[in-house]
Parts: sequence; C-alpha cells; structure tokens
Amino acid sequence: MNGMLAVLRKELHDAVRGRWLIAFAASFAVLALFLSVLQRGGEEVGAEGFTRTTAGLLNLCLLLIPLLALVLGAGSIAGERDRGTLVTLLSQPISHSELLLGKYAGLLVAVWLAVLGGFGVAGLLAALLSPLADVEHYLLFVGLSGVLASAMLSVGLLVSVLSDGRVKAMTAAILIWFVFVLFYDLGAIGLALHVTSSGQSLLVAALGNPVESIRILAILSLEPDPTVLGPLGSYLSQELGKFWSVALLCAGIMAWTLAPLAAAILVFRRQDA
Amino acid sequence: MGSMLNLNGVSKSYGGKTVVSDVQLSLERGTVAALLGANGAGKTTLIKCIVGLISFEGDIEVGGIDVRRHSKEARRQIGYLAQNPGLHADLTVGETAVFHAELKGVASRNARLAIETAGLEAHADKAVGLLSGGMRQRLALALALLADPPFLIFDEPAAGLDTGARLELRRLVQEQKSRGKAILLATHWLEDVPYIADQALVLERGLTVFAGPAAKLEAAGAPTSRLYLRLNGHGAEAMDLLRTMPRVAGVALSGDWLAVTCSPDRKAEVVETLVNARLKILDLRVDESRVEEALLHLRDGVDAL
Repeated sequence: MNGMLAVLRKELHDAVRGRWLIAFAASFAVLALFLSVLQRGGEEVGAEGFTRTTAGLLNLCLLLIPLLALVLGAGSIAGERDRGTLVTLLSQPISHSELLLGKYAGLLVAVWLAVLGGFGVAGLLAALLSPLADVEHYLLFVGLSGVLASAMLSVGLLVSVLSDGRVKAMTAAILIWFVFVLFYDLGAIGLALHVTSSGQSLLVAALGNPVESIRILAILSLEPDPTVLGPLGSYLSQELGKFWSVALLCAGIMAWTLAPLAAAILVFRRQDA
Repeated sequence: MGSMLNLNGVSKSYGGKTVVSDVQLSLERGTVAALLGANGAGKTTLIKCIVGLISFEGDIEVGGIDVRRHSKEARRQIGYLAQNPGLHADLTVGETAVFHAELKGVASRNARLAIETAGLEAHADKAVGLLSGGMRQRLALALALLADPPFLIFDEPAAGLDTGARLELRRLVQEQKSRGKAILLATHWLEDVPYIADQALVLERGLTVFAGPAAKLEAAGAPTSRLYLRLNGHGAEAMDLLRTMPRVAGVALSGDWLAVTCSPDRKAEVVETLVNARLKILDLRVDESRVEEALLHLRDGVDAL
C-alpha cells in the first residue's frame, strides 16, 4: 500500500511539474468561456444560461477529455519501459497491481483536478456573465466529465501495458480516440441507415462507446424529452424509462472503466520486466 | 547463519531458447557469491528471476520466501543494484531518495542519510539527469542500501567506475559481508573473486559450468600452474621423469627451458622429483593460472558439448 501511495504522489508531482495539468485547465477554461460568451446571445441571457453553457461545453469535453486521458494513460507504463525505469520500480517491494493502480489513481486525480480547475474557472466566469441558475446540471456535467476521464484513462493504461514502446502506445491511443470520438458516430449512422434503425441496436452501439454513453447521459440530464435522441431516445423512453436508461448507461461506463483496468493488471502481471 | 538464497533448478527460456538452465545455488548470510560468465551467459537473466522481475521455472527462495508466490515480500529482503540503473531523470537526488524510501516503506530520514552516505548531499537539489555516470551509480547504490536489506544483488556494479570507486565498492562489499549480509555479485573483477567471494557460480550460455568455493575456481578449469625450469642440458631426461607423474598435464622443451603444466598442488612435487633425480635446476619461474584462464577453459568445455 505504501508503494501504491508513493507512485500516486509521484504521478501527481509529475503532472504539476510537467505543467500539462495547469495548461489543460487554463485552455479548457478559456475555450469554455469563449463558448459561454458566444452562446449568451445578447437578449437571451436568462435562467437557462448555465444550461446552454453546459450544452455548449458538451462537445468540447467529449473531444478533449478522452484525448487527454487516453494519451496520459498510454504514456504511463510504456514511458517507464522506454526510460528503463520500469525495472527499477518493479525491483522495489511493490506488486505489479499496486504499481499499475498507483499510476492509474495518480493520473486520474491529476485529470480530475485539471477538469475541476477548467470547469471551475469557466463556471465562475460564466456565472459572472449570466445569472446563477441550473448549477446542478453544470455540476452533474463536471461529474460526467470525471467519469469519462476514468474510463478513457483505463483504456489508455491497457494500451500502455500492451505496447512495447511509448511511440506505439501514443499512436494506438490517438487511433482509439479517432474511433471513439469521430468515426463511431459515422458507424452508428451507417448502422441506422443501412442495417437496422432499431432502438435496441442503437443502444448496444452506444454502450460500445464510453464517449457516446456519456453524451447520451448528458443529454438525458439536460433535456427532459429523450425523443430528441431519435430512435434511440424513443426506445429508451418507451422500453426502459429514464431511471433504467441512466442505470444501464452508468453500468456500461463502469464496465468501460473496470474491464480495461482489470485486463491491464492481468496482462501486466504476466509480463516480464 | 541461515540460508538467504536458494535456487533449485532455475531455468528461463525466451521463445523456446533456453537462456538459463537448471541453476542450483545456496547462499548463506554473511557470504558473497560471485556470478561470473561472458556477456550473454545468463547472469542478468538469473538475477531478474531472483528479483521476481521475470517468470521462471524451478524454485527460488529469498530469506525463506517463495519468490514466485510472494515476490513483493521477497523483494523487501533485497537491495538490487542493476547494471544500468534506470532512475527518473527529472527528479532531484533528494526527491529520488524520498520516493524510493516511500516505495520501500522506510522513514524519509533514511533517504537523507543515504544521500549523505553516498556523498551526494551537495547535489541533493540537482536533477538526476544532470549527474555524472559515477554519481548516478553512487546514488543507485545508496538506494539499494536504503532499507538496509539482508540480501544485496549487484549486477556489474563496477562497470564504468574508475579505479578509486572500484576499490571503494570492493571495500563496501566486504563491509556489508562482515555485517552479515548475503551478497550476489555479478562481476568482471575476476582478479578479486578469490579474495572477496566465498562462492562462485559460472554460467556459460545459461549452463552452470562451475558452482562451488571461489578458492577452487582457478583450479576448476584445468591444471593451470605452469613451471618453467632451466635444467643445465638435462631437459630430455627430466621430460621422461615428469611425463609419468599423475596430474601433470604437459611437459614441453623449448631451448634450455622445460615447461611443465600441472595442477597447482603438484608444483612442489615436480621440483622434488627433479631434485631427487639429481637434476640441477639453474632457474625456475612459476606462472599461476588466473581466473580468466579458468573461465576460458570452462567455456571451452561448453563449446565442446
């Protein structure tokens, strides 16, 4: 346990020293504020200011957070391997699982801090521009961003364990980001148009992508009418209801967090250092 | 004194190629074992097996702890100095020591002590990446000793060190031994082996070609003492006499000099035989075989397999 905490602290220390944490939080805050100003729309400022800001941030988050988490996760073990420090770490009284979990926890806390910092500054500035309303949705969205980071970091860590070098790990991480964030939607549209447009198939497709699951969860929380999601929304509304829809999507995200992490631990334990 | 390390039938293969084969070794507390062999003989692979860094066949116990099943607990007993210690270049010397102290679960004051002992207190705030090779090696050694483990493994610790640092390291090995530590030393300091090591394990292409007391290593390869005798023209007569002696490997005449190759413990007997035969010895020179020669001989034995 000591070893795991030591690794966690070192990851946090590296994040602060490497300045990426502050850079990400600052960039995120600036972009969020920019979106917020754009969406104020002059006279339309009102009680929904935060909701619209939150909705505007959705795409920004779904784009940036997976990229950050995947790249950080992918660089973790593969980077240590490249620098020759992995053998040094594993020759200490620390198990493979503790090392991996320590790294995961350290990076996760760092990403959460970056997200909180970015959202915090953006939220504060947005609140100065619009009346403070609908803070709940905003906070919920901060939470969803943290959950998305957890899942993507887990995927990144699995990529890192499976890669024999940092460059390969980074390349794989960026490819996965492209698939999850850009190509998956195209695939889902193709599925709906050419194979089946059944809500069940679309739900399965959504569960197969943590980014998509978070997007649907965010929309379900922001939008009282799920039919805005099209056939999938209708299916969720009619077949599952809001509670079970949310529960299923949360379970999907949890699986995306735990399964890659467990697989990473299993693979890492069997690997020769 | 109890056994600190037990290797029983340890083997390691990569993709069907055996790198270490059926190694046996038992190392008591307060003793030093030299691990010898050419590059690629399997020394580092064997060490990695002992530290639990790679999978292996056979059994390894460190301080009575099964390395395969409880590698983390076994590593608590080990201070490991790798051949090329990988340290985080961006951390300072002080941060590195504290990080390793935390990993080992010892108080951070031990980290300060380790830096002082390594003579690096003036560099405590310097990034490890900016240290010279020698300083980095000293830091790595201090980290290996940080938790005062009962078992030390040094993999080629003298690589890249100057003579002074090497002597210091030799003194450290002897000091740690006197404190009851068991030490496994993969080394190229062949000339030191009979003096600092109690045991020697020689690997060649993963096979054990010698395992036993270090003092017997020189003699293990072959009869390697060589006597050069100037015999006042009686060389041929002496050759006839000596050829019949047991454990005399070769007798050759070269000009006035007779060269006799024999096991080290037969030298006096060779001289006595000649004196008893009233052959006058005008001059005598003795070349003792070195550990290098013994190793070469042992390696030749593997080549012949």
